[in-house]
Amino acid sequence: MAVAITTAASAEARARPGRRRLRALLRRPTFVVSALIVLWWVGAAATWRLFGLNPYVNTGHINLAPGWHQLLGTDSLGRSVFARTLAGADTALLVGAFGCLLATVLGSALGVIAGYFRGWVDTAFMRLFDVLVVLPPLIFLIVVVEAFGASVPALIVIIGVVFAPGIARIIRAAVLAEMGKKYVTTAKVQGESAARIMARELVPNVLPTIVIQATLSLAAAILMTATLSFLGLGAQPPSPDWGLVINENRVYLESAWWSVVFPAVAVGSLVVATQLVADNLKEVWS
Amino acid sequence: MSVLSDQAAALAPGRRPGLWSGRRSRVLTLLGRRLIQIPVVLFVVSILTFWLIELVPGDPGRNALGQYATPAQVRAWDVSNGLTGPITGRYLHWLSDFVSGNWGTSFVYQVPSRPLVFGHLVNTLFLGLFAFVLLVPLALVLGSIQAYREGGRTDRGITIALMSLSSVPEFVIGVLLLVVFAVGLNLVPVESGAFATGDFAQRLQVTTLPAVTLAVAYLAVLARMVRTGTAGALTAQFHRTAVLKGLRPAQIVRRHVARNALIPTLQLVGIYLGTLLGGSAVVETLFNYPGLGALLVVAAERKDPVLLTDGVMITGVIALLALLLTDIGLILMDPRIRFEAGES
Repeated sequence: MAVAITTAASAEARARPGRRRLRALLRRPTFVVSALIVLWWVGAAATWRLFGLNPYVNTGHINLAPGWHQLLGTDSLGRSVFARTLAGADTALLVGAFGCLLATVLGSALGVIAGYFRGWVDTAFMRLFDVLVVLPPLIFLIVVVEAFGASVPALIVIIGVVFAPGIARIIRAAVLAEMGKKYVTTAKVQGESAARIMARELVPNVLPTIVIQATLSLAAAILMTATLSFLGLGAQPPSPDWGLVINENRVYLESAWWSVVFPAVAVGSLVVATQLVADNLKEVWS
Repeated sequence: MSVLSDQAAALAPGRRPGLWSGRRSRVLTLLGRRLIQIPVVLFVVSILTFWLIELVPGDPGRNALGQYATPAQVRAWDVSNGLTGPITGRYLHWLSDFVSGNWGTSFVYQVPSRPLVFGHLVNTLFLGLFAFVLLVPLALVLGSIQAYREGGRTDRGITIALMSLSSVPEFVIGVLLLVVFAVGLNLVPVESGAFATGDFAQRLQVTTLPAVTLAVAYLAVLARMVRTGTAGALTAQFHRTAVLKGLRPAQIVRRHVARNALIPTLQLVGIYLGTLLGGSAVVETLFNYPGLGALLVVAAERKDPVLLTDGVMITGVIALLALLLTDIGLILMDPRIRFEAGES
């Protein structure tokens, strides 16, 4: 991300509070622990294949309790709960992360444009959002997923579109606050084009807000993905997706609690950790 | 969150005192404006829903009749169920049927859609009400404890605990509650399926775990609103005046603190009453509770456009009514609030 700074001196002045904030973050135990949890799941999603884990194969023992041979037990089809829980990070992070990225890019662009131009662009956008707010987001998602299908690319686009208005609203408010400042007026007087002011002046200045919103939406997007697959509207069997696994195995809750509880703890820890990372970023930055 | 900050901004410029005689007329004005606004919003929602469901791949006639039906039979079924012709005509036809209460038959359940939707809606409202009865007092207590200890260790501790709790997915909390209370302690059945047949006591018993799960999900936000409202009231000029005037603590809380703390809380309750319907889809599915959310999930999974459209429309109506009731409550509670044109 190219930050528009005219002189090296001001770049130096900017970098220093950045480093100070990083140190402040690292001193917070909740931030360190939750960042480590997020990294653990990212690592699991990226590397579980390298360790020869197979989430699909029958180990020969059905509903085996957690123990020495199978660390977290086996499910009703004899598959290793350990392998499935690690592999489940894959779909959650794939859809969550890329959906959130799309939502952030789309939402920031809309927010900056609405905040810069005001007028009818702004009004039209806000009225449209008012209509979307009426429907509970999950109900809206159910209808959209039914219409466009539940493949991974479709889910990414859907998550992106559903989360974009919320981000846009916040970025718009941040841009409105920036618009009153002198540097924007200066840039306008200098005759810079609207696109250039938005990209080189406004975006760098609302970047902290964008990053915080992106992290917050990441938590929400992972949660939404897991929820959709829990409802049977996302990943399909035999995928080890956490939400799907919890739904499939909840009938075995009384005979094999481990096949439900471990994926539940996994998705819970990832969402909570992401949320706490976002909260810490927000507190340190403001 | 942004909705709230917008409304908080609307609260900020206090109206001059002595001008709040026309409370009733303002309620009437609001009702009049919403009487126009609500049908417009519902109209847009209905177009959106109808168009989206139209995109659904699949063949409802084939689904309903099974694989042994001849193409001619499927075609006849499509015609008799109004599934042929241009979409605008079908939309208008559906709209007039919907408005006149003729909602058609659910493809999946093979029963009229209207009693089905309303029956499940009543169950969901029962669940939501139960959750709110648990939620609101608890949030008030926690939030005011935090406000009176603002910045202290208790305050931070409760905030972190609630934030973590609220970001745990509902189905995870539900599963853990099931493991402890249904599997471990055997206090309640694993499934709420008995809801439909049992008497009131039994209904209450099977609804407890779903209601607790729902309540946990909303506790953090609500407690935070109570905390913000109370903390704001405690630092305000009028609070200092009330203390200096020598009012008893109970009077201060009742007449000055509680009212101000409840305003943001009530706004949130209204917004969440709407989302509660969506949020309960997860909880209802997990506990096999026969509510509207679970019904919509089934309708989506098994491709039932009739049930889905009707259910979504009713959800929209309920969400809008909840917002309207909240706004009326706000006007009655806070004379400063006016709903200007363009603000919704």
